[in-house]
Amino acid sequence: MSFLHSADTIVAQATAHGSAAISVIRISGPLAPALVQGIFGSKTAHPRRAHRGNYLDQGGTLVDDVLYTLFPQPHSYTGDHVVEISCHGNPLIVQKILQDLVHRGCRLAEPGEFTRVAFLNGQMDLSQAEAVIDVIRAQSDRALAAAHHQLQGALSSRVTKNIETLLQVIAHLEAYIDFPEEDLPAEDETGPVRTTRELVKDLQRLASTSRYGALLRDGVKTIILGAPNAGKSSLLNRLVGHDRVIVSDEPGTTRDAVEERLSIGPYSIRLLDTAGIRSSDNKLELLSIEKTMDQVEQADLFLLILDATLPHPALPGALRDRLNASNTLVVHNKVDLLPPTSTTLPTWHGLPEVRVSALTGLGIEELENRLQATIDAFNPLACEEFVAVSARHAEALQEAARALETALAQWARAEPAELVASHLREALHALGQITGQVDNEAMLDTLFSTFCIGK
Amino acid sequence: MSNATIYDVIVCGAGHAGCEAALAAARMGAKTLVLSGNIDTIAQMSCNPAIGGQAKGHMVREIDALGGEMAINTDVTGIQFKLLNGSKGPAVQAPRAQNDKKAYQFRLKHTLELQENLTLFQATVTGLIFQQGKVVGCRTNLDLEFRGHTVVVTTGTFLRGLMHIGKNRNEGGRMGDYSAKTLSASFLEVGIELQRLKTGTPPRLLGRSIDFSGMEEQKGDEKPTLFGFYDTRGDEDLFHVEQSGETRLGWPAGQDQVSCWITHTSPETEQLVRENLHLSAMYSGEIEGTGPRYCPSIEDKFVRFADKPRHRLFLEPEGRNTNEYYINGFSTSLPFDVQVKLVHSIPGLEQAVILRPAYAVEYDFAPPTQLYPSLESKKVGNLFFAGQINGTSGYEEAASQGLVAGVNAVLKLRNENPFILKRHDGYIGVLIDDLVTKGTKEPYRMFTSRAEYRLLFNHGSAELRLLHHATRHGLLPPDRLQRITHKKDRIEHWIENLNRERTSEGTFGEQVRRRDPSVQFPPGFLTETDQIREEVLYRIGYQGYLAREIQQIAKMSSLEDLPIPPNLDFLSIRGVKRECATKLAEIRPVTLGQASRISGVTPADIHILMVLIQAGKGRGVAAPEPV
Repeated sequence: MSFLHSADTIVAQATAHGSAAISVIRISGPLAPALVQGIFGSKTAHPRRAHRGNYLDQGGTLVDDVLYTLFPQPHSYTGDHVVEISCHGNPLIVQKILQDLVHRGCRLAEPGEFTRVAFLNGQMDLSQAEAVIDVIRAQSDRALAAAHHQLQGALSSRVTKNIETLLQVIAHLEAYIDFPEEDLPAEDETGPVRTTRELVKDLQRLASTSRYGALLRDGVKTIILGAPNAGKSSLLNRLVGHDRVIVSDEPGTTRDAVEERLSIGPYSIRLLDTAGIRSSDNKLELLSIEKTMDQVEQADLFLLILDATLPHPALPGALRDRLNASNTLVVHNKVDLLPPTSTTLPTWHGLPEVRVSALTGLGIEELENRLQATIDAFNPLACEEFVAVSARHAEALQEAARALETALAQWARAEPAELVASHLREALHALGQITGQVDNEAMLDTLFSTFCIGK
Repeated sequence: MSNATIYDVIVCGAGHAGCEAALAAARMGAKTLVLSGNIDTIAQMSCNPAIGGQAKGHMVREIDALGGEMAINTDVTGIQFKLLNGSKGPAVQAPRAQNDKKAYQFRLKHTLELQENLTLFQATVTGLIFQQGKVVGCRTNLDLEFRGHTVVVTTGTFLRGLMHIGKNRNEGGRMGDYSAKTLSASFLEVGIELQRLKTGTPPRLLGRSIDFSGMEEQKGDEKPTLFGFYDTRGDEDLFHVEQSGETRLGWPAGQDQVSCWITHTSPETEQLVRENLHLSAMYSGEIEGTGPRYCPSIEDKFVRFADKPRHRLFLEPEGRNTNEYYINGFSTSLPFDVQVKLVHSIPGLEQAVILRPAYAVEYDFAPPTQLYPSLESKKVGNLFFAGQINGTSGYEEAASQGLVAGVNAVLKLRNENPFILKRHDGYIGVLIDDLVTKGTKEPYRMFTSRAEYRLLFNHGSAELRLLHHATRHGLLPPDRLQRITHKKDRIEHWIENLNRERTSEGTFGEQVRRRDPSVQFPPGFLTETDQIREEVLYRIGYQGYLAREIQQIAKMSSLEDLPIPPNLDFLSIRGVKRECATKLAEIRPVTLGQASRISGVTPADIHILMVLIQAGKGRGVAAPEPV
């Protein structure tokens, strides 16, 4: 079971998910003090005092300028060593830091785990016990609801199928280990090796859906590009369904991006009208490279609005390079103003395009369909199934894939079967973190139904 | 009529479980009585004449490390020794021996007879005597009652034993023996649930009627791998009984080994099985109990694996002073006349004479989830269960439980904490935890794959792994404990030394791990015993793997070490689903670790239990740190 490892160092974002001014990442466990030293290189972090430092990842790359505070045990929230890192409230930065900490030996915390550790370390009094139960229950109910949802969805059935395949591989190996004197078919590992290779691929593919999973959870960050007179605002209003975006005719007066949310199919779309791009001389320019490029970097999708009646504006190179056929839809607006004779429009760098009129609503449905299809295509398993895994699941899947790769390497080196089996079992355990641990009986069932045992 | 003596421990049954239970109790100084319905069948091998093999051989070595008798008894009455699994890795290698059945029995009976504090008596136990929720003794068929502070029940397949050969049925736990018919009622009376299991045994043949000429010979290993640890025994431990002036049966281990023989079923065998399937007790619905999947009858083999043209059979000698052979792999419940034809259809057995027919046997067992990990009944105080009555199969599984039950009966008397082997201690720990936590649907047999920490359980390390248990409960003579401690120190010294000392090729440890054939060990290491060198090289070679398993154990230990209060009312806990609460209430796990292994219990349930237990302890008054 993956819970309650007091020997583990756990990590999670302590503040709410999404963009904010500041995000706090909390680490609790024995590794915490060493991590401070490893990351910030500081010999002495004064207890409970905030220090400023550059967060360098394991590769030495600067991630962010942060504040960190060390709370040595037992004077901390959990009672174990705790480090809190306040970084800029950018989900990408948070994700990079979390990933780096996992590489450095931390484990992503289970829901409510900090609270539970705190309770177990005696950091809360008796009257709080009931409250803790409520927290655990609420979180487990939510987790249960999510688990239930996933059970019905494809993830669980995918993982269950993988587990069944893995059980067959393990059963094959174990049959020859546990029943050396049986009259089994001559041992041939080519089948199990091939199956294991396919398993690795499938698990990696599943793990890669975590980005798509994040899109589902956090919404698809979509940037609307285009000259003001191209009709961005009216299109936005048309999509959102109400007049909320108030635009000044004065270019550049909107300081921050205006964010609107809309639902398209199963997706929540966060539409951002960027303030950092202005138009002059029929040219779109980035006002503040750093600030805007940050948003451009994080965007999942781009809508480039062109005025069908005007020549196309040019985009700055850095921006244009971000646009490609899978993340951009070119929207030719104001097609209602075109003369009836003009049926063809010049394409924009060959990117996929839609023709609409924000004013009359012409082509809006088509635009919505195309938007959904574009996001659907982000799913690495697009045509097969609707699957998206969480970061924690992705971690478990990757752990399983790594264990299987090690098993394959051991096989190739003709290492003893008991070592190959040990890695295969490790992979099974990792997958069990998604579906619940697999009882050894299941393996024996497979073994006894595959092989005739009975000396 | 009641016997005036009040025994400390009464053991009902003298099979593999009963013998170890009685010896363990008596050796700990408890006044022990063993009751057996027939003392000529003490430690009888009712089925195959072999001990050990995968996981089972490991358990026998663990029994030896805990002061049990099975290992030595096997070594000195063994007629063939083989180390199995040479190619799969050192952790899963295990010794196996063919035994002289009679010699095995005689020697163990003699050992019981000579054991101080132990009384052996022939009587069939017909019922238990209970007083205020505790067992206080037992009744026998001779109208003699015996009083005891604790009782260990090891009835094997004798509880309402019913044997089947086709439509023929005979009451009895084993061919030629009786059935304990009334004892079941005693258990039901106090609310102990019973269920049925089934097992079977093949025919026995007359050796001189067998033509071995076309069969493949299977010889023993030239250098036998033994079950007992002899490097840590002095002469006085080894021959402690002989010193009393009596010489027991047996011979130097590995002397004069005999062969087994391999043959196969023929197409005619298969045809005969198919034609007569409806006459098999198993297939005609005569039998209600569940049989073991790993030991199918010949009927099952042909039906379930129809694409397999033939099945391998082993002919194993039953002893030095008998011409009887056991056909391993040929258990059946077909009628006798069909059995004769079946046997004659096998190459080499065309003229074979059957000395004893094959049969299936059904018997009562008490689902072991009704037990604490000490093997004491949750329903009745001071009552312990061991062996097949707990749903297991196999001599080794029985003996392991017998030893644990016997020790625990004595500890209960002394009011001491029970002797509990954990899953990370060894196969015996896995066995008992599986039984009391999950129960079993078929006769339970140990496999190495049941152990999570299999690489830590290499057979040579049993003494070292279990040393602290043996020391704590005084299960071994003090001088042997000292020798094991010394051996452990030497091993640790050399692991440290070889990992530190370097040559031009790196440290010795690195050379071992890359299997460098040219490694030149320090002379001091080469003069250590084989056992020490083997263990050192094993641990160095598998260093990373062993460290990982130890780390996993540490992770689990926070759950394992958290006891659940015995009075916790699972059904009234908020937030735990009803279905799960009912299961917990039924099994009553003793630690959170055990609870976490019950199927259907979720991590969330465990968190809630943890909080409740900690709250109950009144922990936690420190002020929380502001964040």
